[in-house]
Amino acid sequence: MTTSQSSAAPAPTDRSMPPLLRSVLGGLVVAVPVVVIGVLILWLAPPYQVRIAFAGYVNLVIVVGLQIFMGNANIGNFGHSAFVGVGAYFVAILATPLAAKKLSIPNAPFGLSQVVLDPIVAAVVALGIVGVLALLTGFIISRLSGIAASIVTLSLLIISHGVFINYTDLFKGAQAFFGIPVVIGLPTAIAVAVAAIVVARVFRDSQDGVQLRASADDVLAARAFGVNVVRLRFKAWVLSALVCGSAGIMYAYFMGAVIARAFFFQQVFLTLAMLILGGMRTVSGAVVGCAILSIGLEAIRSLESGATIMGVQLPEMLGLSGLSLGAVIVLGMAFRPNGIMGRLELDELAAGWLRRLRRS
Amino acid sequence: MDYAIQQIVNALAFGSEYALLALGLALVFSIMGLVNFAHGEIIAVAGYSVFFAVALGLQSVLGAVTIAIVMGIVTALVFERVAFRPVRYAPTTTGLLTAFGVSIVVQNMLTLFVSPKARAVPVLGPLNQTFFIGPYAVSSLQLLELAVTIVAIVALVLFLNRSLLGLAIRAAARDFSTVRLMGVKANRVIATGFALSGFLAGVVSVFILARRGSVEPDFGSAPVIKAFVACVLGGFGSLAGAAVGGMVLGFLDVAILVALPQKFGGLRDALTYFLVGVVLFWRPQGLLGRTVELGDKEV
Repeated sequence: MTTSQSSAAPAPTDRSMPPLLRSVLGGLVVAVPVVVIGVLILWLAPPYQVRIAFAGYVNLVIVVGLQIFMGNANIGNFGHSAFVGVGAYFVAILATPLAAKKLSIPNAPFGLSQVVLDPIVAAVVALGIVGVLALLTGFIISRLSGIAASIVTLSLLIISHGVFINYTDLFKGAQAFFGIPVVIGLPTAIAVAVAAIVVARVFRDSQDGVQLRASADDVLAARAFGVNVVRLRFKAWVLSALVCGSAGIMYAYFMGAVIARAFFFQQVFLTLAMLILGGMRTVSGAVVGCAILSIGLEAIRSLESGATIMGVQLPEMLGLSGLSLGAVIVLGMAFRPNGIMGRLELDELAAGWLRRLRRS
Repeated sequence: MDYAIQQIVNALAFGSEYALLALGLALVFSIMGLVNFAHGEIIAVAGYSVFFAVALGLQSVLGAVTIAIVMGIVTALVFERVAFRPVRYAPTTTGLLTAFGVSIVVQNMLTLFVSPKARAVPVLGPLNQTFFIGPYAVSSLQLLELAVTIVAIVALVLFLNRSLLGLAIRAAARDFSTVRLMGVKANRVIATGFALSGFLAGVVSVFILARRGSVEPDFGSAPVIKAFVACVLGGFGSLAGAAVGGMVLGFLDVAILVALPQKFGGLRDALTYFLVGVVLFWRPQGLLGRTVELGDKEV
């Protein structure tokens, strides 16, 4: 691990380009498959599959958000779903029409049961709340490292879940909060995903990102070079929380209902598995991991409920999707311990291949 | 007063269960730096083995206990050989995810091949009886948990301090390469660590079975997350820390349960984890962990 992976990363793209432009372009290259798959789904797939694909795009934004903190700071994070939940719940509370609110949260504090905001304003306010919470928690988490930091993020997840479930006046408890206006569709989700990818990539390539990655490889050396590790972790944490919060907002505005258990261990483990399987050091890793697991799991899920293949009716096999998810993870980690993508982004890989082709 | 004693016994029982679990995690972590989230599935496999044995006609309590412990050890060794050996030298996150993977595979295999629902295993019921010492109602299981935990910790300490392999394990926790230079086989040290951790998992499995009287696929995973927290609370990788962390968490759980008004009962976990967060902010290295400055050499 001491072979400094981040600082020695070659920059195969044209050096004459301004760095910011290079990062944005690189991010867009990584986002190409995301857009292509999305357009194909919009064009060909029946509505119920669009719904499934939307969930996949929400996961993608979460995984990219997770990568911003976990991949650059190299600290295990279990708490990102708390921000997804906060984003989703606050747009639910702010944007749901009065009639539905009278049924679900008639006793909301601060007169919130009487307030209805425009969906866009509600989204901005919700994102603001996510940001404030991220500032508060980031103050603590950026000062910890290693496993202690991971446990504090786990605490964050469990505390947020406890509050969602028990503060029934505001969050409607363990039941679904429904009646949220459905204002976006798959195209918006694709756009948000592309934006998230570009943001993550620009951060990764920025001075802060490079310094943070260097500190993840060797804190002592990075500090000796004057890197302010705490400040950088804090920045990455807040940015990561904002991206995860946007995923939550998207989720609420498409599904029209939110439920607390959607933002708990299952989501955390699935998104973590996506990120680590793809390779947490790169944004491309987040995208690749998410694509493989989303598509694979969906295929297997259709087998699970007893599909008919070439005239043969298969029996119902509950647990098959989980079994394959676990098997893919174990095998993936055994053969590619650093994730599928390793340390290079897709565009950097492609540029490397091109150069080798040209040379030969 | 009666009530207080009752609650202290409860806390000790909870605490000893967490401590046993946390010790199993800490053993493996201290040797090979693996955060073994699949520990819960060792417990689950041990529990299901008892379930199968009962289905085949097993009646005796002693038999069931033996099966649980033996299967705990066997499962731990199989996990090590099949899943964890390939990632032995990989980064911590890789090992962590492998452990997740194993945990998911085993849970779903139990769902797929046995049943997603809980299955009754009544055979260990006799271990869990309530009797009275003077005015106090005491559960035999709670006393047993406490006693077994003490015995297990003493035995573990003796093994680690008095036997050659124990010495090798302690040394491996500090510096594995030097241990290998002394001619000790890495595989043997790690396998012993896993076997010990499997043994502890088997014991915990007996306790959980005796209390719940049934097995289900996520039989072991919920307690293991708590145990993981206990480990970190005590100081990750330190065995004494794991035991202390487990006890502290047990007392914290019961204290919160007692102190919290009924209305906020659901916030128990949230409050526990909040306090854990506070403790870690105050002492990131855990209660018993050593403060290591960056770049310090091993003292």
